[in-house]
Amino acid sequence: MAHARRLLPLAGFALFLAFWYAVALSGVFAPGQLPRPDQVVTTLVDRFANDGLWRDLQLSVLRVLIGVVVGCAIAVPVGFALAWYRSLRAMFDPLVSFFRALPPIALIPLVIVYLGIGEGARLSILIYAAFFSSVVVIYEGAAATDEIYVRAARSMGASQVEVFRRVVLPLTVPQVLVGVRVALGVCWATLVAAELIAARRGLGATIQNAANFFQIDMIYGGVILIGLSALVMDRLLAVLMRRLVRWQERVER
Amino acid sequence: MSTEDKLQFRDVRTGFGSGGKRVEVLDGVSFSVAAGEFVSVLGPSGCGKSTLMSMAAGFSRHDSGEVMVDGRPVTGPDHKRGVVFQQYAIFPWMSVAKNIAFGLSLKANRHSKEETAEIVARYVHLMGLNGFEDALPKTLSGGMRQRVAIARAYATDPEVLLMDEPFAALDAQTREFMQELLHDANQQERRTAMFITHSVEEAIFLSHRIVVLSRRPTSVHEVIDVNVPTPRTAESRLSDEFIQLRRHLEEVMRSMSTFAPAGRLS
Repeated sequence: MAHARRLLPLAGFALFLAFWYAVALSGVFAPGQLPRPDQVVTTLVDRFANDGLWRDLQLSVLRVLIGVVVGCAIAVPVGFALAWYRSLRAMFDPLVSFFRALPPIALIPLVIVYLGIGEGARLSILIYAAFFSSVVVIYEGAAATDEIYVRAARSMGASQVEVFRRVVLPLTVPQVLVGVRVALGVCWATLVAAELIAARRGLGATIQNAANFFQIDMIYGGVILIGLSALVMDRLLAVLMRRLVRWQERVER
Repeated sequence: MSTEDKLQFRDVRTGFGSGGKRVEVLDGVSFSVAAGEFVSVLGPSGCGKSTLMSMAAGFSRHDSGEVMVDGRPVTGPDHKRGVVFQQYAIFPWMSVAKNIAFGLSLKANRHSKEETAEIVARYVHLMGLNGFEDALPKTLSGGMRQRVAIARAYATDPEVLLMDEPFAALDAQTREFMQELLHDANQQERRTAMFITHSVEEAIFLSHRIVVLSRRPTSVHEVIDVNVPTPRTAESRLSDEFIQLRRHLEEVMRSMSTFAPAGRLS
């Protein structure tokens, strides 16, 4: 049973592929409008071998990583400050919600005006997305620190700094990681938008180039690579989380 | 007031709300705990027992009166007063040994590695935790977790141990076992202790004296010396002194209950 359950995600992909084949072969779409999965794979293999698709993949992964790392590195202290100081939270909570709701793609024209069309502009979009998606998760986690552990530490003589460093921080690690995971997902979702800013390389740029030349199988290929990269990185992070927060009690489902 | 008084409550008053909505909780509570004495505070729910503990620990303030340790007013939490909470307050991300060692690694009370290892070993043994040193709290039962919490409180060598219904969440059997364990530990390592409980039996079994609190607005209803000989064992619960005292206290508690006083099954 447990073994079967591990295979279920694969079965999901298999079912999806079967559906794709069925639609592609059914003739609902004109030939060339919907490539078969194997045609997409062939295109991908060719582009990897002859067209430096690796470089695009690398660049996009790097951009997402920088966005997540920098965005979360800002979100962690800000999240803690918001959790710690009630008045700060009262002041900035609505603002954070306001900016979080803005789709990054809507900000692109402004980013171009102020930051130009260089790498910095693209990264700033990703950092923006990572920061606003994770800061709320982080400060809610930090604000929910169970007072009982703080009291226990204080009763043993812990100073404010010791309480923060040795109790509040470790207690919030799981929630910070959840924030990072959310940021990762959002960054991948924002990548194509970020690469709309005059990027020549990257998976988002590849998709746009393919669209300009009506290479539908490459559009599909790019979409699949983005999805797969996001999936792999999310899984890696999930494994890391399980390692880091082994102490957490979980309700078995 | 004897000079031996370690912990003192003098005419302590507190409440919440103001004006017409003001609710008095503690209405002039006075009692003291002598050095080396184990005192239980027994009272109906909502009478402010835990508030007293919280004041002694330095977590909450009172409106008037004095809470003193060694004749000096309590101003905040301090490693000289160890606390065991009702909720399992051991740190879930630390092993049993690390939990017990925590207080000894703080600036206020730092010990060398060797001393710490020795102290941890002593209290692991005292609380019967041998073999569980590296276990994470999530793998332990409620009773085991409270043993870690008690060991942790003992390890910092506090002058006063404050315990706030530490066994209230445990099942009856574990509870009795824990009472015996704590009693034995306290026979071996005498500490001044204030133990909050709403269980008559628990109060008698553990204490030298019992302070019975009244209903809100709360004052001291009665202070009782427990004359059951020590060291106590499971057998002690069946002794005449024990049963007599229990009958008296159950009667008092029943008379103070908010719910149907007569003919209530307990």
